[in-house]
Amino acid sequence: MRRSTSRKFLIYAALVLTMLFFLGPIVWFWELSLRSPSSAFASPPRLLFKPTLDAFRYTFVNPGANAPQLVSSLIVSTGAILLNLPFSASAAYALSRFRMRAKAFLMMWYISLLMAPPVVFLIPYFVLMSRLRLRGTYLSMIVISQTITIPLSVWLLKSFFDEVPVDIEEAAFVDGASFLQSLTLITLPLSLPGIIVTSMFAFVFTWNNAIFPLVLSNQKTATLPIGTLNYFATTGVTWNYIAATAVVTMLPPMLVFLLLGRYIVRGLTFGAVKG
Amino acid sequence: MTPSRRVASYLWVLPSVAVLFALVIYPLLFSLSSSFRLWNLQTSPKPLGFVGLGNYKQVLQTTPFLSALRNTLVLSFLGTFIEFWFGIGIALLLNSGLKGTRVFRSLLIMPTTIAPIVAGFLFRYMYYERGGLITWLLQAVHFPIPPQGVLGSSQTALAAIALADIWQWTPFFAIVLYASLLAIPDDVLEAAVVDGASGIAMFLWVTLPTIARTAVIVIMIRFMQLFNMFDLVLVLTHGGPGTASRTLSFNLYQSGLVDYNIGVAAAMTWLIVLIVTVLINVYARIAFRNWEW
Repeated sequence: MRRSTSRKFLIYAALVLTMLFFLGPIVWFWELSLRSPSSAFASPPRLLFKPTLDAFRYTFVNPGANAPQLVSSLIVSTGAILLNLPFSASAAYALSRFRMRAKAFLMMWYISLLMAPPVVFLIPYFVLMSRLRLRGTYLSMIVISQTITIPLSVWLLKSFFDEVPVDIEEAAFVDGASFLQSLTLITLPLSLPGIIVTSMFAFVFTWNNAIFPLVLSNQKTATLPIGTLNYFATTGVTWNYIAATAVVTMLPPMLVFLLLGRYIVRGLTFGAVKG
Repeated sequence: MTPSRRVASYLWVLPSVAVLFALVIYPLLFSLSSSFRLWNLQTSPKPLGFVGLGNYKQVLQTTPFLSALRNTLVLSFLGTFIEFWFGIGIALLLNSGLKGTRVFRSLLIMPTTIAPIVAGFLFRYMYYERGGLITWLLQAVHFPIPPQGVLGSSQTALAAIALADIWQWTPFFAIVLYASLLAIPDDVLEAAVVDGASGIAMFLWVTLPTIARTAVIVIMIRFMQLFNMFDLVLVLTHGGPGTASRTLSFNLYQSGLVDYNIGVAAAMTWLIVLIVTVLINVYARIAFRNWEW
């Protein structure tokens, strides 16, 4: 009995240390966004300080240079998941339901795109979008994001479609439903949760992407990660502003992950591990 | 299935394949044709002459391609290795059946949700030479910090990048591996205990085989993400000091979008594409062997 109590204690201690290691840096950065510039680099680091919302006010309200970037991030990420859905949903449905000889090959092809280095595509897209006079537009970023959102969503959605029993569809056929009816009245409503989960993950992947906006956005269409980078390019790095912008950038993905608790494993492994 | 239905099933896949194929083939062909031409955007908006394999030679002679490859491999192998084992350790802790682990789990994943660029800033702040939290902690344990700071020394820059990545992605392994630990049936565990299996024997013969399938997949995903490492390098070191922490991706970015040497960057693109294609094919074949589609 004693032994198991001390064992419990050790495990809890290890868990608390682990949490400190993984959450400490986040809390530390949140604090930075609430600090006055003078306490940002106090040595030794100061744990207690008088919090101020000045950095948030400066970055998002007045003059609020980062507010338009928040809007840009929302436009690009939302646009990316909307454009993606018809393409990935149709492919995922077919890959889940039909017998196809090239199925394994296609699935491998999609996932290999997810694992390809995005930087490789950067220069050609930069030149292509310049030639099409689309560089700096939201459209360019939304279209290029499809290299990530479509393969991710095909994999994830297929895993969700796989879970809708074929029997239900077949029963509908027996009852005289057409293929379209069974699809729109049965399969789609049943897989709606899956479609929402998939879209939320695609949203996070686009939201967190900095590589494509790095070369495709301009001052007007820059997204939040580019906003944080821009502070860095100016002389005299203003860490409080970086932190305030970064905190706002962090919140939506964190919220999504808290909401999607039991789907996290599936989302991060592209549906390959059900979790 | 009738032939017409077989064709129809591919029509469903066609739109996505067409879009992706266009988005992938354009960059590849563009890079292939530019890789044989003399083309620097600083001197000319259009490619100049045909230079044969000149650009490929330049990649090896004028850019630190081989040391970037070495850095990339070190980062990928070391990062994956540490994150996997650290992750398994945490997964076992979470699996100990104690109360409250649910809360731990949902908070533990937070680093992984953050944009890599932002994670870079978190660590850049903590690595600061004066008043940075990590620097301060290292000084407290009398770790010999280089005078240029952790990020400014060629001996520690790459390790500093690795630490930031380990922080961000160990929770990914922990959470995914924990989920697969749950798949071990209780009676198997009980049987093993009854048979007098030691902790290590249980781990080797019960735990590892159960999670192997999942482990191979997450290792593959993570290894490739590490191999493509760019964001953290951009924020933390810019590949420096000098070229000490350049990765393949950053080296490519530097040639193409900082030095504007499109020809050399295109040649580098093809070298990287070849390496990555081999890696992905080897991996995917192993990970999805006996996979039910």
